[in-house]
Amino acid sequence: MNALPHLDVATEYEALLQFLYLAPVGLVQTSRDGEIVFLNPVSSQLLMPLSRDGHLSNLFTALENEAPDLRHLSNSFAGASGMICDALRIRLHADTTRTAAPETLSLSLVKLDPDRLMAVLSDVSLQVNRERLLRQNEAWLSAILTGITDYAIVSLDHAGCITDCSSGLSRVTGFNPESVYGLPYSIFYPEDATTPDRVLDRLREADDNGWSLDDGWRIKQNGTRYWGSAMIAPLHDRQIDADEERTYCLIIRDITDKRESSENQRKQQSCDYLTGIANRRAFFDAAELELERAKRSPRPLSLILFDADHFKAVNDRFGHPAGDEVLRHLADTLASTFRQIDVVARIGGEEFAVLLPSTAIEDAMAVAVRLQKLIEAQMVHVEGHDIRYTLSGGIAAMGPEVNGLADLMKRADQALYAAKANGRNRVEYWKAA
Amino acid sequence: MSAVIELDFNQSGLGSRIDALSKSDLDALGFGVIGFDKDGIVRLYNELESKMAGLSPQRVLGFSLFTVVAPCMNNFMVAQCFEDAAITSSALDTTIDYVLTLRMRPVKVKLRLLATPGAALRYVLVRRAS
Repeated sequence: MNALPHLDVATEYEALLQFLYLAPVGLVQTSRDGEIVFLNPVSSQLLMPLSRDGHLSNLFTALENEAPDLRHLSNSFAGASGMICDALRIRLHADTTRTAAPETLSLSLVKLDPDRLMAVLSDVSLQVNRERLLRQNEAWLSAILTGITDYAIVSLDHAGCITDCSSGLSRVTGFNPESVYGLPYSIFYPEDATTPDRVLDRLREADDNGWSLDDGWRIKQNGTRYWGSAMIAPLHDRQIDADEERTYCLIIRDITDKRESSENQRKQQSCDYLTGIANRRAFFDAAELELERAKRSPRPLSLILFDADHFKAVNDRFGHPAGDEVLRHLADTLASTFRQIDVVARIGGEEFAVLLPSTAIEDAMAVAVRLQKLIEAQMVHVEGHDIRYTLSGGIAAMGPEVNGLADLMKRADQALYAAKANGRNRVEYWKAA
Repeated sequence: MSAVIELDFNQSGLGSRIDALSKSDLDALGFGVIGFDKDGIVRLYNELESKMAGLSPQRVLGFSLFTVVAPCMNNFMVAQCFEDAAITSSALDTTIDYVLTLRMRPVKVKLRLLATPGAALRYVLVRRAS
């Protein structure tokens, strides 16, 4: 019987071949020892970067380092056929130099008969990362939500201005709803805790991630502070491109009584043990984020590096406990001189960094000089000693000619070096050599 | 133009030599040639490559190299080399050992990756490892 008289076998073969070439998952058929008989291109795409010897002749060998027990798993499978493993997740070794390299593969292995195995491979890195983020958010939300008694819901327009709010607003913040319409949501923040740029950054981050969460000091209508959590979520269709049509929901909660537990958790990871201000890692994380924001919607951004002058002499003369006390004094003075939105961190022994969002270099200089004079005028009392010390600072500003955070740090460091070379107890701008 | 083609897989300046070849010259070469433009669209596909892969040129020309034609090369070993060269506007000429999945069989090959800033086409040259 000739059911398909017009079938062109060669054409059909080619179409089938291309079907396999294009399959967006890796398909591999092997012998029972893992020797590869057939494989499609995605298999090679995923497996070649793992292959140590540049071969792809055996599946188990190719995955030896990442899934060493695969061979054993297969050999010890009792049945004549069946699923040996179903969507087994294989964690690949992180290679931070490769931007888009897969991090996690999923492997299903089926025994077709005693002599043949079939494997399905796919890159599930995105999915795994999304799951991780979800778990983190879940934990965070449950920590925040447990025992919450009151909240305010506020509607925002595309510019972050208030268009509507719930009756909870006056209970949580003391503001009368009618009095806040048309005002930016920054009225709920202390003056130094946000900027017009940051108000918009949070909306953009909510657009990108589905929400934006932050907690910190907030301010009531009567000026009293409370520890609040703010979540912003977009209400508009995410596909809408027109800026003016975007709307957001802001939920404010007073979590003052939870501050200790949530702050402790954060501090363990991101605070310097000696001074309590941000540590080096937290500084670099915050700075990278801020540079990203400045790249997206350009605005001034300044960086100051401070170094305590002749700090070794303080340690030598008064002892290390006194030196530590000086560092704590410097950290406290830094934290109270700069704004809440500025990132103040200890990044080395006696070296401190301050990143000032939406701040031009001249304004950064004004605050830096104020701090330098303040330190010069003060005394630290430790164990019967009155210790005076001074401070040198170097300032650089972000600009199109500055190549990333490392370059900005380098410039501020060169300026700091100039301040030292010019006699210390002073602050210098970065200048082109 | 010379009728006799004696281009060697390893010779230097190969990219500009291939640019100048006619279709029949390309088909006479002893190695596979895939030429693609700055958007990754395949513009050139010689006969040897077509035979090795089992795909006729009309299934390949005009399609995206790294997603439709050769997804096996869409990783840091091949695709990212071309991306990096494009970003830094630098020339790329490197030869690597690779395994292609020609007709779903693993085949050891040498790939020569060629990109010249400003040139219309980039090339992946394919030679079966002996």
